[in-house]
Amino acid sequence: MAAAAAAGDEERLLLTQRLKAAVHYTVGCLCQEVEEDKDIRFSKQSIAAISEITFRQCETFARDLEMFARHAKRSTINTEDVKLLARRSSSLLKYITQKSDELASSNLEQKEKRKKKSSAAKGERTPGEKEAAVTENEDSNMS
Amino acid sequence: MEERDGRAGGFRKDTVDRLLRLHFRDGRTRVNGDAQLLMAEMLNVFVREAAARAARQAQTEDLEKVDIEHLEKVLPQLLLDF
Repeated sequence: MAAAAAAGDEERLLLTQRLKAAVHYTVGCLCQEVEEDKDIRFSKQSIAAISEITFRQCETFARDLEMFARHAKRSTINTEDVKLLARRSSSLLKYITQKSDELASSNLEQKEKRKKKSSAAKGERTPGEKEAAVTENEDSNMS
Repeated sequence: MEERDGRAGGFRKDTVDRLLRLHFRDGRTRVNGDAQLLMAEMLNVFVREAAARAARQAQTEDLEKVDIEHLEKVLPQLLLDF
């Protein structure tokens, strides 16, 4: 039993190390963008520090998100939970809400595209349905 | 905040998912796709804010290089805002 637990711990440690490395890489990329934007340089230590802070902040985010979802009697975290996370700064909340709306509208576009494709396919099978599809298209052109 | 769609930098959806799942207390907790994307954006903002604020601090001190001390000065307010 102890051996299995120890193996689990080691696995978790490896995963943590890999994730920290992934975060560090992304932080490096983002800092490079800021360097170009502001015409300034970041020391390696400061990038490593931002990386460390970001990794630790993820723990707080994860726990909060889990609590929010559980409070709503869900086990899957959704965008409403993420918006709650952004509540402390009004500009942050505004930005996240905007991004969430953009996501929602692009999802809607995808749905519409799929609907049109499937209704077009149906139209070719039955002449009656084909007429209905044509009428629908005419209506949308008018609006 | 400006549009940055052309840039390569930013957190990947699956990395974000694994980062969050590392800290869940319940084994059944999941994150839906849109929430993963939104959290990736949240982390991008977090990092950019940390970097930009530290940079501004360094520039206020007439320096061309951002060091840990500049980050330390802006950290408290950053954490309060998030």
